[in-house]
Amino acid sequence: MATAPPEANVLLRKTAGTRRRRAVSRAVDVVCTVAALAAVAVLLLVIASVAVKGAPALSLRLLTENPKVSPFGGNTGGIANSIVGSVILVVIASVIAVPMGVMVAIYTTEFAPPKVATGIRFALDILTGIPTIVIGVFIFSVLVVGAHQSGWAGAIALAIVELPVVARSDQEVLALVPRALHEAGVALGLKRWRIVLRVILPTAAGGLITGAVLGVARVAGETAPLIFTTSVFSNLGLTTNPSAALPNIPVTILSLSESPSPKDHAQAWAAALVLIVFVLLLSVTARAVHERSRAKLRG
Amino acid sequence: MKRRIPAGLLLGALVAVGIAVGIAACGGSGSGKPTGSGSVRSLTGAGSTLVAPLVSEWTAPYQQQAGVEITYGAIGSGAGIESIVGRTVDFAASDAPLTASQATVCKGCLEIPWALSATLVAYNVKGVPSGLRFTGQVLAGIWTGRITTWSDPRIRKLNPGVKLPDTRIVPVHRTDGSGDTYAFTSYLSQSSAAFKSEIGSATSVSWPGGIGGNGNSGVGGVLASTNGSIAYMAIAYVFENNFDYGLVENAAGKFPTPGIRSIAAAAAMLTTVPTSGTSGISLVDPPASEPAAYPLATFSYVLVPTASTTAAGTALKRFISWAVTAGQRYGPDLDFAPLPAAVVSADQQILRKVR
Amino acid sequence: MTTSTPTPEVSGRDRNPFLARTKLADKLGERGLRICTFLAALLAVALVVWIVCKLVHSAWPAIDRFGLAFVVHRVWDPVTGQFGALPFLYGTALSSLLALLVATPVAIAIAIYLTELAPSFLRKPVAMLVELLAAIPSVILGLWGILVLGPFLGNHLEPFLKSFLGWLPLFSGTPSPYGMLNASIILTIMVLPIITSVTREVFQTTPVADKEGALALGATRWEMIKLVVLPQARPGLVGAVMLGLGRAIGEAIAVTQVIGNAAQIKASLFASGGTAAAQIASDFPSANPGVWQASLIYLAVILLVFSALANIAARLIVRHGTVR
Repeated sequence: MATAPPEANVLLRKTAGTRRRRAVSRAVDVVCTVAALAAVAVLLLVIASVAVKGAPALSLRLLTENPKVSPFGGNTGGIANSIVGSVILVVIASVIAVPMGVMVAIYTTEFAPPKVATGIRFALDILTGIPTIVIGVFIFSVLVVGAHQSGWAGAIALAIVELPVVARSDQEVLALVPRALHEAGVALGLKRWRIVLRVILPTAAGGLITGAVLGVARVAGETAPLIFTTSVFSNLGLTTNPSAALPNIPVTILSLSESPSPKDHAQAWAAALVLIVFVLLLSVTARAVHERSRAKLRG
Repeated sequence: MKRRIPAGLLLGALVAVGIAVGIAACGGSGSGKPTGSGSVRSLTGAGSTLVAPLVSEWTAPYQQQAGVEITYGAIGSGAGIESIVGRTVDFAASDAPLTASQATVCKGCLEIPWALSATLVAYNVKGVPSGLRFTGQVLAGIWTGRITTWSDPRIRKLNPGVKLPDTRIVPVHRTDGSGDTYAFTSYLSQSSAAFKSEIGSATSVSWPGGIGGNGNSGVGGVLASTNGSIAYMAIAYVFENNFDYGLVENAAGKFPTPGIRSIAAAAAMLTTVPTSGTSGISLVDPPASEPAAYPLATFSYVLVPTASTTAAGTALKRFISWAVTAGQRYGPDLDFAPLPAAVVSADQQILRKVR
Repeated sequence: MTTSTPTPEVSGRDRNPFLARTKLADKLGERGLRICTFLAALLAVALVVWIVCKLVHSAWPAIDRFGLAFVVHRVWDPVTGQFGALPFLYGTALSSLLALLVATPVAIAIAIYLTELAPSFLRKPVAMLVELLAAIPSVILGLWGILVLGPFLGNHLEPFLKSFLGWLPLFSGTPSPYGMLNASIILTIMVLPIITSVTREVFQTTPVADKEGALALGATRWEMIKLVVLPQARPGLVGAVMLGLGRAIGEAIAVTQVIGNAAQIKASLFASGGTAAAQIASDFPSANPGVWQASLIYLAVILLVFSALANIAARLIVRHGTVR
């Protein structure tokens, strides 16, 4: 849009209309600033609620002890088993999703013909758009029916959620690697695979790690993939074997949140505090590193 | 030039993490499920939230006694039935007996009553004391949306002398398939023809409006935070959370106080117990011959396959046998009445069929 | 000088240690990488196809029985075996549209702030804070919705709205901590960061020359935004809203925690309701395999189709609409 708007001549004369226009513009400034402040305020409000209500119940005991569950589910112990279970689920999911995401990204940026690359991106878009509850239903019908709930089922469901996040981030990062590096490698007589493994990947390593961290941050708090696949778990002690249903923080928070007991609510807030600190730290780190590595790659 | 992280190192790190997880996973302690031969160290069950407190209470003493860890998921009777039909658990708990079609799909599931409790009508209204009287008709009117305020004349007629505010009634129901829903809707269907034709009785029905809660716990959460709400809830949860509860009219026209005595009175009418085990023993709305009987008492059943695919069969037999005998003494503290002797002996007979 | 495709005959290659690899390693490596990455990509695509096929297959008993009339039936009754999606589609549509209605103008305003108004040292931090809203796990937002927002709505905001605006059907009804209003607010918080970040990206691609031209001609900042930035951002904005819509319709956990889970269609925002995703979350474990479970999976298929469409539309619009 390079042509001047027809009102341009009018704009040059300073009239009473000018004052009004300036006032309108300033009002818009205020509205926009307020909007931004409001958004930040909501974020801080939610985090503050979690922190203020969770901190009193948060203790070393909560983090390191297993539950001592009374008949109604009221827990006088800790949530160590949920923390450990969540870690195992996320690690398994990431071990599946991160290498696979990197490889998909490599394929679309290095090897795939343009139409195929578009098709793969299309498929990844669909995958991103699938509601996580639908993924939970899918994995339930494939892995739990005919067998039983297990940490594997839950982790695979999480991996499906994590894959497109990692793949898309990695695609972006790999696409930003300067062509000059490719050409330098070719000029040195390297085959494609060596260029990718020894030149491209190491250069993009920061961005790839960011992609992995973003993926982990995304799935660490996911509940829907887990409620049908790993929600019937033992509360007696640590469960580390993924062939049984693994206790996990999101499902624990969900059931505690619906309870009438204030003690359960306090535990829910404390568990939420642990989770939100973890997720937010990861997100902040990922974004900071992402910005830095993007700037570095751009030049 | 900046330091480059070798791709090999990255891949190696990922593989190392994967191996570490694998070792931890396979070598870890906890409830792994050994397949095939050997003694079973854990049993997984799921279902009724009504019986969940009792099962939870059983885990520690039973583990000491038999060395078997019981994992129980309180996901609702309906979900429990689906789990055992799909054999994703070793046993299921349901307060509702299997319907004919469910029994067929379950392919040889045995239904063994192992606990005896009741559903209460609890409410949370500012300014209204505990102990309001309700009839089946009034309750049906509330849940079908015909009675909309607490000061409705039909409620006032039953409770003269109680000052009832104009607050709107918010009926709360279960969103999950629930044995409490089954017991409550059975009672309402027997009390009101309109309810029977509009809604019917099952573990999951189509409620017109109101608010839904997930499990007895979720219903409690809704009740606690919503002024004017009324819900049907298992007795143990009502007492545990100190909710106000109502007195429900039985067939004899009395309003018995819910508790172990009135529940036991409802069960006392059982003279014989069907040993086929699949028809269920309904205690809802017992006949007028039992004036002290609480009309919303219900058995809770454990559902087990006749033939378990793993070695779980023997372990299940031991567990359920213990539950219906020694386990019953943990009941009264949690407002479960002890099983009548006739039921216990019938249970032992049914258990012989489990392999 | 070596050529780009080294041959064994070239002597310089043997003397250079970096290139002194065997032909076999090169062949294996090249083929290996190609195959591995191809398999990964194939698996990703196959996964999508598998998910769609498996779900449609599982939903088939319901699709066959009810057909497209499923979306207009009002009754969801496991007792009679009649299942209709209308109450849940209504709830999904209402809560999502409300969320978008509130979030979009706010997102545009925040994007304007971030691109035009904010001092440069505030830009990145504020942008990051807004994006962190998206990182909050939905179960925690639901927890907040039940224990903090719910009482506030039921005891303060809703009675207030009812006393002033109670003549509107939207604000009639009994104030309640659970209900459509609670769910809509939660969804607004969820979609806001998504729409904001895409909108901000789109605003940042406005050609600076155009903006400066308008300003040079005497436009106020708001007029510059109105005349230069917003028109060229329109396709991107549509894409952003689509992305937000996709997110909103798919949210199950936080919604089922606060919406009250009743299969009804009410005009009032204070009333409880249900959305398709929330209904799947609460009903699925209890549903027996048969028409009931198939109907729930039918709901899942509908969700899948719409959120996939929204995401694809968003990508296409944003890709074609922005000048990169």
